[in-house]
Amino acid sequence: MSPLGAAIRAAARDPRGRAGLGFLGLLLLLALLAPAVLPDPAAQPDPLGASNLAPSLLHPFGTDPLSRDLLSRVVTGARVSLGVALLAVALSITLGALVGVAAGYLGGAVDTALMRLVDGALAIPRLFLLLLVLAVWERVPVLTLVVFIGATGWFGTSRLVRAEVLRIREESFIRAAEALGAPRRRIIFRHLLPNALGPLLVAATLGVGDVILVEAGLSFLGLGVQPPTPSWGGMILDAKSVLVTAPWNAIFPGLAILGTVLSANLVGDALRDAVDPGSA
Amino acid sequence: MGLWLARRAVQAIITFVLALTLLFVLMRLAPGDPVQRLEGERPMSPQEIARLRQRFGVDQPIGRQYQLFLGGVARGDLGTSIEYNRPVTTLLRERLPATILLGGTVILVNFTLGIWLGVRQARRRGSGEDRLLTAVSLAGHAMPSFWLALILAWLVGVRLRWLPSAGLSDPLLGADAPLLARAMDVAAHLVLPALTLILVTLAGTMRFQRGAMLEVLRLPYIVTARAKGVPEMRVTWRHAWRNAVFPMVTLLALWLPLLVTGSVFVEAVFAWPGLGSLAAAAAGNRDYPLLMGVAILAGGLLVGSSMVADLAYAALDPRVRLA
Amino acid sequence: MTRSATSPTALLLLAFLTAAQASAQRPASSIVIVTGGEPSMPIPTLMEGAQNQVANFEVADHLFLRLANLGPGLITAGDRGFVPMLARSWSRRDSVTLVFELDPRARWHDGAPVTARDVLFAFARARDPAIAPKLATLTQHIAAVEADGDHRVVIRFTHPYAEQLYDATWHVAPLPAHLLAQLPPDGLARSSFLEHPIGNGPYRWVRRVPGEFIELAADTTFFLGRPGINRVIIRSAADADARLNLLLSGQADAMDNVPPPLSNLQRVAADPDVRLVTVPSPTLGFLLFNQRARRDSTRPHPVLADADVRRALVLALDRQVLVRAVLGEYGEVPFGPASPLLWIGHGAGTPLRQDRAAATRLLAARGWADHDRDGVLDRHGVPLALTLNYPGTSAIRRTMAQLIQEQYRQLGIRVDLAQFEFPVYLERRDGGDFDIDFSSTTQDPSPSGLTQSWTCAGGLNRAHYCDPAVDSLITRAIASQGDTRTVWRRVLQRIEQDAPAAFIYAPTYVFAVNRRYRDVTIRPESSWISLWRWSVGPAGSPQTAGY
Repeated sequence: MSPLGAAIRAAARDPRGRAGLGFLGLLLLLALLAPAVLPDPAAQPDPLGASNLAPSLLHPFGTDPLSRDLLSRVVTGARVSLGVALLAVALSITLGALVGVAAGYLGGAVDTALMRLVDGALAIPRLFLLLLVLAVWERVPVLTLVVFIGATGWFGTSRLVRAEVLRIREESFIRAAEALGAPRRRIIFRHLLPNALGPLLVAATLGVGDVILVEAGLSFLGLGVQPPTPSWGGMILDAKSVLVTAPWNAIFPGLAILGTVLSANLVGDALRDAVDPGSA
Repeated sequence: MGLWLARRAVQAIITFVLALTLLFVLMRLAPGDPVQRLEGERPMSPQEIARLRQRFGVDQPIGRQYQLFLGGVARGDLGTSIEYNRPVTTLLRERLPATILLGGTVILVNFTLGIWLGVRQARRRGSGEDRLLTAVSLAGHAMPSFWLALILAWLVGVRLRWLPSAGLSDPLLGADAPLLARAMDVAAHLVLPALTLILVTLAGTMRFQRGAMLEVLRLPYIVTARAKGVPEMRVTWRHAWRNAVFPMVTLLALWLPLLVTGSVFVEAVFAWPGLGSLAAAAAGNRDYPLLMGVAILAGGLLVGSSMVADLAYAALDPRVRLA
Repeated sequence: MTRSATSPTALLLLAFLTAAQASAQRPASSIVIVTGGEPSMPIPTLMEGAQNQVANFEVADHLFLRLANLGPGLITAGDRGFVPMLARSWSRRDSVTLVFELDPRARWHDGAPVTARDVLFAFARARDPAIAPKLATLTQHIAAVEADGDHRVVIRFTHPYAEQLYDATWHVAPLPAHLLAQLPPDGLARSSFLEHPIGNGPYRWVRRVPGEFIELAADTTFFLGRPGINRVIIRSAADADARLNLLLSGQADAMDNVPPPLSNLQRVAADPDVRLVTVPSPTLGFLLFNQRARRDSTRPHPVLADADVRRALVLALDRQVLVRAVLGEYGEVPFGPASPLLWIGHGAGTPLRQDRAAATRLLAARGWADHDRDGVLDRHGVPLALTLNYPGTSAIRRTMAQLIQEQYRQLGIRVDLAQFEFPVYLERRDGGDFDIDFSSTTQDPSPSGLTQSWTCAGGLNRAHYCDPAVDSLITRAIASQGDTRTVWRRVLQRIEQDAPAAFIYAPTYVFAVNRRYRDVTIRPESSWISLWRWSVGPAGSPQTAGY
């Protein structure tokens, strides 16, 4: 079994990993079952009479200002948040890995140039960058949002991968491969990347939490996913103006974000301990 | 040493200029015209628009605007805000104290409480206390800051009325009130916004310190010290922490721009008159001069403090210098 | 923490509590008003561009008096109904000349008397397009302003028209010539006058804490009567909900425009310390239908150029529900582009009620039906799909947009929502890059403002709406000097018929004022202008202490 596989198994046995995966699994299940079990999250049955109802048996999370059922909106919002997060992180990881490996292995001018660029980009707050980029588009399709978020999240990962590559590069098996005349591409994909996978996976899991927060922030600012598609950040935005009279509108989406990000971070923590026990 | 310093300085300047250029270009590319926004609901005649454009220099080609901008920065003139029609430097200066107060408090708490808790966790690694602290801090870290701000403002400010819900001070207190009363008033207003930011950021600092500490505690010289019978407290703080503090120095450098941009959400919810909300409004209004002014301040702080951190690192750890 | 730390801690706690108590005792004769904008330049005639915002106007109205104010009827036409302020009286010399007699008691806050020279100075600045382009346009019908002695001003107009007195008094407030004349026109923005303005109004400037508040103090020698409240604090907080929090936690005594939705208004109404004051607002919200193609204004819009389709879109909406769901009873559906502030709107007509059957019939008659059974109407294979643009800064429009989307969906009309940052929203709107624009305008008291948006050549007519009949009616109304009410009514009726827009909401501004204030009046054209006439109840009136 590869060291990575062993690490994953170890993480799954860790109580933190268990808790995190448990919550995420539950959320995923609910999100998939929702259309069958819960009311339509976009339906506005009675905006005049049924808005801002407190939690009850009929509406376990209450209703929002437009009389939509909050529970089904929170659960449906999970689909957007998790979907965007997973895809965006996948993109970030890929970009970060490629750039990191290029910088670390090729070295020299390539390294300097890439790292200067990364430093410069890191100096600008991510949310800010996204705001400017998103302002160009009228209605951001979810896929475009994923690309933008992913494209602004790879800088730290590239540094991480670069550091790993620098460390592994001096190892004997790499030297041996080079001495045997193996092509660069092979060395990168066959030897370097697989060994950097551990920290990469940790970064990915932690990245998921980050992206969920970023996406929530964007929705809260009114950018990103447009209504009527529910998104947790957007729900908090809608809740803001009724906070003093219907606080459940803000509490439940916020708890959902909290729970999901916490779970992702717990899994990431467990993974990190499994991959690199010394840092536990 | 001098050569290293020079090289580092040049690197820093290049990064700074690169970041500014990137921002400048992005701003200009983004749709939305600052002059057009000024017209509000009444139309402006074409001459009026042209005159305003000329006054704010937005009628020039981008290259020329960039040139003028760089020239202005070199002279210390950051231009005039399109929105407020006042010098950018004045606006920045007006808002800086509030920002430093909030950011400074958050950083202070993070780098005292955070460090202490992180070290404590490292010493009691695996214990119930360690796990609890990890869980609680992770929970804080997992909350969106805007959500926490909204909940706290509502719960503590409006519902319970324990603390003021917004603002920096009570205007009725008067400029001639005793200093202690005024200080206490500001302190009361500071609690909620600072608490929001601290709760969300403390986790990171704690874990960072914890990780650094654990690495050091593994090292042979620590084992030796213990074997020699050095008291535990001394081992922790005198021997181990001295080496575990280095990454925190770097972290502090990365945090300093927080002083400037603060948290935009928190400033909005608590009506805190800092630079973060000024920057957010400037971005929304496409107020280029003001936005670039804030960016210069933040970017300069970041780059400058990174350099200082590297210097400190180098001064404290000879190995870095020689590398 | 060592044991000896307990004493300092106790001391600290004591100090904290004392301070809290001290700041909790509010001096009886003060008022803290919280508003949204930050008044950074509250000087009349200097408010150009971004400074042309309500916050500046409102503060300026405490400091600087006009020659005369609008009367309670808000009627802008004719010479009657205005309230004397700096001008004690006025008379008409002929059809193009007005003569104002200044009140000799009026003084600047530094003691100097207000003279005709100050009026001339202000008008000279205002009418110069290089200094104040917008004001110059607004005062373009003033031919000359001359002094006749120290206290008489003669204003001549270019031609006879109904709103001469309005134009002479509303737009320009006199400035202290003896302090400002020697400054160059552009120098005012950086002068010390801005740091400490000297006015002639009921309140004088005390200080400004940037980003937080402005403090004003009553001018006890004000010639029209001593203000009832001694200290006025105008606090600014950009976020509407932060303002609400300030009000509900007792940190503010008065607030303009309690933010919808309805539940907030009800919450504030339920607060025992606070009284709601409703004021007709100058705001109008409407869905503007673009009649030209989005990216090519030479071609008609494929869907919205058809008047019957537009009428159907209006009939398809239940506007009463929209207003009641978001604003409750604090708003109404307007008839034509007339907000409650416009005197021409009253009794002009009743907005159409929702009639889905009629809407569907109209659409079917124009070829729109669900041929492919996908739930969306279509014609020649093109679905009836439109994008609705609105700015993210407006909570009302954001909520209503979702309700509107759902209402249209039930009729098979697909509406996609597009939320934008404000400058981007403006860019789209002004460039004609929209299908439906959820517009909101703030109207002047004068109905001549309708020219901008609803005439063929209007500068703000972004949907390319053109009806020559409306144009001639408006021209006739503006030029006439008699009772123009009937003509204006016909304008509104005609516009309703043409359906260039669906007029959705005219909110009632809801102000919240602490109950201890008496004689409270809020003016629609400038909210706090009557503040100096208010008075305060006895100290110790019901008021929750502390935060």
